Amino acid sequence: MNKIALTIVTLGLVVFMGVIFMGGEGSSDGQNVEIKDGVQYIRVNARGGYSPKVTTAKAGIPTKLIMQTSGTFDCSASLVIHSLNFQKILPQNGETEIDLGTPKVGEPLSGVCGMGMYGFKINFEN
Amino acid sequence: MEIKQKKYIFHVAGTHCASCKILIEDILGGQDFVKNPHVDLKKEIVEIETESEESAEELAAILTSKIKGNGYTLSVEKVITEVKNDDLIWKALPIGLAFLALFFMLQKSGILNLGIGGRTTPQASFIIGLIASVSSCLAIVGGLVLSLSAKIEQDDKGITKKPFILFHAGRLFGFALLGGILGLLGKAIGINFMFSAILGLLASTVMILLGLNLVGVFKKNTFTLPSNLFSFFRKVEHAFWAPLLIGLGTFFLPCGFTQSMQVAALSSGSFISGCLIMFSFSLGTLPMLALVSFGSASFAHSKHAPLFFKSAGIVVIGLGIFALLAGLAGVGIINPLFSI
Repeated sequence: MNKIALTIVTLGLVVFMGVIFMGGEGSSDGQNVEIKDGVQYIRVNARGGYSPKVTTAKAGIPTKLIMQTSGTFDCSASLVIHSLNFQKILPQNGETEIDLGTPKVGEPLSGVCGMGMYGFKINFEN
Repeated sequence: MEIKQKKYIFHVAGTHCASCKILIEDILGGQDFVKNPHVDLKKEIVEIETESEESAEELAAILTSKIKGNGYTLSVEKVITEVKNDDLIWKALPIGLAFLALFFMLQKSGILNLGIGGRTTPQASFIIGLIASVSSCLAIVGGLVLSLSAKIEQDDKGITKKPFILFHAGRLFGFALLGGILGLLGKAIGINFMFSAILGLLASTVMILLGLNLVGVFKKNTFTLPSNLFSFFRKVEHAFWAPLLIGLGTFFLPCGFTQSMQVAALSSGSFISGCLIMFSFSLGTLPMLALVSFGSASFAHSKHAPLFFKSAGIVVIGLGIFALLAGLAGVGIINPLFSI
């Protein structure tokens, strides 16, 4: 009897944690992408995770990623982009520009914080 | 003169591995008054033959003193350590999971992301330390502290608080020293991603193993492989330098806050300012970590000790898996974990 109650509580907690981990906000609608003088700039905020988590940008033009930090001390400050072999601890306040070259369609870029808790992704489309 | 060979059977506690048999027989066989020691791991008994005139109780005490350093005790009566603890896991599971849920909810809430602008002063570092000690860094540093504290308590029944004090001292002064060196050199010694990622993976593996041990998985079917690790722990946890060194080693564990502070110490330009930044930071993390280690010590002495060990085991396993998966994502083997 007691055991049944405890089992129900346990299952409830497991479901609850599943919700915590699976639930995430939606992606951006291109507000953070800007093309100026033939160069595409993508802005991503880093503080307590990355936002927006998913960005859609144009492929085939020179692109720069700008990481914005303000009072960032947590994991998201230590940025790793494996495909570029990029590893850096971002300054606590400021902007860090990362050259992405000319991205191709179907080769999304993903960044992750050094401890692997947070990540972001940029998809490139025509 | 007639020499009487008497046979004694003692109950042995602390055997957790196949090699324990060899070790005990070896040590007991090395005593000149002991003949034909034989260890039965299944029944947890030790048989010896001796000419000694001592009583069985005294013999048990003498022989225990020889093998105590390796974590074994002999007794005439069977020491009943666990009285039907099978139901306990059903209580420990929801308690442990509730803690984990609370912890992850705190991470998700965003409360911990308050920005601290301006320059990194020692005061700011202290506050950042306070925040860091309840952040996701707690998963790895706090989880390690909890698992090691509980392990020590379980082995030693809390004879001494020395390992804990040494650990915290090692952490505080290690951070101060290494922070000072960072400030002096202006070069990264603790910021190699791969190194700290590997250390993090190692720490989380240790956590999961210790967690499983706390829950009591290893008691039923005695493992041979991880037991080497455990006997290594038994040996080092009594050493003076071990907790000191582990405390210092937490400097290199993957934690975003620690690494940000390391960068701040790095750019501070002098030994003193680097030292102050890292010392204040570790001082900020002290209250939470002290609560974890001394709190587990006091729980371990209460009558709820068996429940505490099991619940702590669940928490440690949960945090260990979290840290392990996160570490794998960090080095790019799997996708970033969660959208916390």
